[in-house]
Amino acid sequence: MSGSYGTFSTKQEEKRKRTVPDRVLIRRVYEYAKAHRRSLIVGVSATMAGALTGLGSPYMHAIAIDQIITPKNLSGFIWWIPLFAAIVLGNYVFQYIQTYQMRVVGENVVAKMRDDMIDKLQVISLRYFSEGEIGRIISRPTNDANTVRIFIRMGLTSILIDVSSILGAFTIMFYLDLRLSLLAMSVLPVALLLVWYLGKYSRAAYRRTLITTSGLTARMQEDLAGIKVTQACAQEKETGKKFLKSQDENVKATIRAIFIGSSYTPFVIGLRLIGTMIILYYGANAVLNGAITLGILVAFIEYQFSYFMPLVDLVSTYDQYQSAMSAIERMFDVIDTKVEVLDALPERSIALQ
Amino acid sequence: MRHFDYAKKTIMSIAKPLLDYSKSLKPQKGFTQSFSAFKRLMKYHKRYYWLITAIVILAVIRSILFALEPLYTYLIIINVIGPPSNTSLLPGYLLVIILAGIGYAISNFILTYVHGVMSQYIVRDIRTEYYRSLQGKSFSFHDSVGVGDLTSRATVDLRLVDMFLRTWLGTVLNAVFTTIIIIAIILPISPIMTLISMATMPFIFYFTTRLWIDTMPLFRNMQLIIGRLGSYIQQNIIGMKTVRIFRREKDIADGFKEVEDIYVNTAISAGKIQSIYMPLGPTILTLGIALVYVYAGYTLGIPGSALAVAQVGDIILFARYMMRLSFPIRDVSQTLGTWIAAYAGLERVLEMTDAPRNVEDLPDAKDIKIEKGKLELENVTFGYAKDRPVLNNVTFTVQPGEKIAILGATGSGKSSLIYLIPRFYDIQAGSIRIDGTDIHQFKLASLRRQIGVVLQDVFLFSGTIKENIAFGKPDASMDEIVQAAKSARIHDFIESLPDGYDTSVGERGVTLSGGQKQRITIARALVTNPKMLIMDDSLSFVDAKTEQEIQSAIEEATKTRTTLIIAQRFSTIKTAEKILVLENGSIAEFGTHDELIAKNGVYKKVYETQFVQKASLILEEMGGA
Repeated sequence: MSGSYGTFSTKQEEKRKRTVPDRVLIRRVYEYAKAHRRSLIVGVSATMAGALTGLGSPYMHAIAIDQIITPKNLSGFIWWIPLFAAIVLGNYVFQYIQTYQMRVVGENVVAKMRDDMIDKLQVISLRYFSEGEIGRIISRPTNDANTVRIFIRMGLTSILIDVSSILGAFTIMFYLDLRLSLLAMSVLPVALLLVWYLGKYSRAAYRRTLITTSGLTARMQEDLAGIKVTQACAQEKETGKKFLKSQDENVKATIRAIFIGSSYTPFVIGLRLIGTMIILYYGANAVLNGAITLGILVAFIEYQFSYFMPLVDLVSTYDQYQSAMSAIERMFDVIDTKVEVLDALPERSIALQ
Repeated sequence: MRHFDYAKKTIMSIAKPLLDYSKSLKPQKGFTQSFSAFKRLMKYHKRYYWLITAIVILAVIRSILFALEPLYTYLIIINVIGPPSNTSLLPGYLLVIILAGIGYAISNFILTYVHGVMSQYIVRDIRTEYYRSLQGKSFSFHDSVGVGDLTSRATVDLRLVDMFLRTWLGTVLNAVFTTIIIIAIILPISPIMTLISMATMPFIFYFTTRLWIDTMPLFRNMQLIIGRLGSYIQQNIIGMKTVRIFRREKDIADGFKEVEDIYVNTAISAGKIQSIYMPLGPTILTLGIALVYVYAGYTLGIPGSALAVAQVGDIILFARYMMRLSFPIRDVSQTLGTWIAAYAGLERVLEMTDAPRNVEDLPDAKDIKIEKGKLELENVTFGYAKDRPVLNNVTFTVQPGEKIAILGATGSGKSSLIYLIPRFYDIQAGSIRIDGTDIHQFKLASLRRQIGVVLQDVFLFSGTIKENIAFGKPDASMDEIVQAAKSARIHDFIESLPDGYDTSVGERGVTLSGGQKQRITIARALVTNPKMLIMDDSLSFVDAKTEQEIQSAIEEATKTRTTLIIAQRFSTIKTAEKILVLENGSIAEFGTHDELIAKNGVYKKVYETQFVQKASLILEEMGGA
């Protein structure tokens, strides 16, 4: 019987594995975004264009150094300055469009999903609203919707920016000097493996904070629901002790997650520096041999900076992506719940109205 | 009847006020308020001055090490590449770069960690203070603010504060120190070029501030709306049954959509302002690089100043430092963004923490033992709002061991009256004495522990039946617990359960009927063996069989105790020594059953109606069968 009611309000769900594949969820969210397709297309294009123009400025420096300043070809500034300004301003305009359009899409999509959930909650069987399930049902249109909102606003945009920056930087670097590019990127696989490996621990620690947080929330809810009893029995201290214990667990778990979550950054920064050293060592010699120009050497160091961190960020936004997908799945669970029974209402109560 | 009132209240109190509230939020300048909230937040930092000291030291180290790489690359360009070129210097420079980098990475890691620890301590302090303040608030406070609302302030809103606390100080210090250190490095190389490259800074500062001032009120409104929207959803879900009974589903959903629309529009307006200003800082900074090049070109044009590679190195150093500066600047403007959200969250938390307690211990309050349980009320006046008294000049005396049944229509002040005795609310005028001592002379805990209270709402904590009965006396012996359960007529039932007194109740435990729960709460009130007992109306929602069960529990429990009991049913009233009839906050009649019947007043009417109603119900049941 209960199986036919959908799955959203089972008690074990926090531990439950996701069953709906990501692409299905993404396609369904896209259905919601369709109403704002123009904003979406403009926003995504602007995001990518913004990332690419952002990569333009190190290359422009290389040109200024190699073609204008070093050969004392000052008249070059006549075209260089407007071009540089155009790239920088273009980058600004793209960022503006991207932030605004993605906000329009994100807010509207989440709002529509929330509306659908609220509509559905008004008609599904009252069986859902049994004691003990309330907290979980409430968190669908509140916590889960917020997770998705934040993901679309921040996470999704940064994923787009990161991917475009990385691909753009790779393309430009390969174009500038293939051998130096390969040398510079030699440390990359190590860094990615490291982040992925340590990320496992970080995800486990993060899950632990979620569990302690929901424990703390449940504790708080119960204590407040029973506050009159606690006051009537003058047991504030006793109840408070339990609350503080549950809070301490949460604090400990969070501090641990912060420790693990940030522990891989020194390694990643260290590896990036090894990359920079390789560039400087081979690059300086190459400049002296005349194999590359000084401008290209400087541009390489900057590009090393502009693809390395986005790549690490990308790996670490995996968590954010996962939790957004889980939240989306749970929201669709509510929206998809079948309305099987229209609860019979006592006739008398209508007359009361 | 009560049910109806409650339902109406639930619906009326959610949809419209929320909409009015959201519409009333005008984007005003919130700058000064935000500053005072920030100062308040700083007070929570005070305790952790040692962590702050560590953060400052680490931030200085981190900024210095951050600035070293471009400087040594510069040295490689001018000294290694030259001319004159000298490759023997290269390994040394590279070593400095790698060591500085490792130092940077380690100090950055420690700083992030220390900052994170501090943020968790502060969040813990704020939440503990919040929780303790809620524990001390009177019943009127808890009647007016929902559990869901209070919980979400301590979790969702505090998480926003947490997000700000995790990085704010490090980010601000990073921007300040990095700027200072970079200026200190480039100033000796070329004062004029330093001036040119820093010329854009005031603009960046201006636009960042502008962004903050313009979007802060909008974000604050968004946060406040979303907080309320969350409570609205909670109330809707918790009260879903009521919503269905009154067929208000559409109103609820439409009301929600209207508020959500306001939210979405505010969010998009804020997004528009944000998208204009946010990328502006780094853009201006990058444009500043063009100025450096133009100046370099200008000096190149001066006759006699032959361009050396060293000068190219200078230009590269300046350009790279300016690119490096864009990161701290971007971080600061993001932190300002998190502060806006944190500010709204903090405001919502402190609003509750700072709400007045209403009921507190007097400075000279003592632990006093109630020996007999004589209760005297003299000219007691009380109201939730000062000018609208709920109780007016109430005077009566209850002898030790006497049982008083209180009657009255909804809103006549019955509950208020009995809740004044354990000081769940404080009286405005008059006095209440127990055994001749004013209740304000008692310490709150001492007073409440000696008065058994059965509330109207049946509430059991998750845990075992034993723990629930012993709630008011955690060190109660098993005998005491069993005795209380026997008096509440629930012992036999508990014994019949497979786990007996160790049976779990609540979310993960067994399902108990309303009457069983009610009798456990009666046992809970009896476990301290109080001289006085206060019982709110516990029979209004129950069926006849449950009524009988509870009735016999009440009879047993009240035998030797001074008792005030609110009664809707005649079955309760007939066992009382005296009956007190309340009408609009005043005593209408007070006396024994026979006295009041003889008086031929309100009580007699009530008695007759109830009797007639009961008779007709019995007839109805017989007809149905």
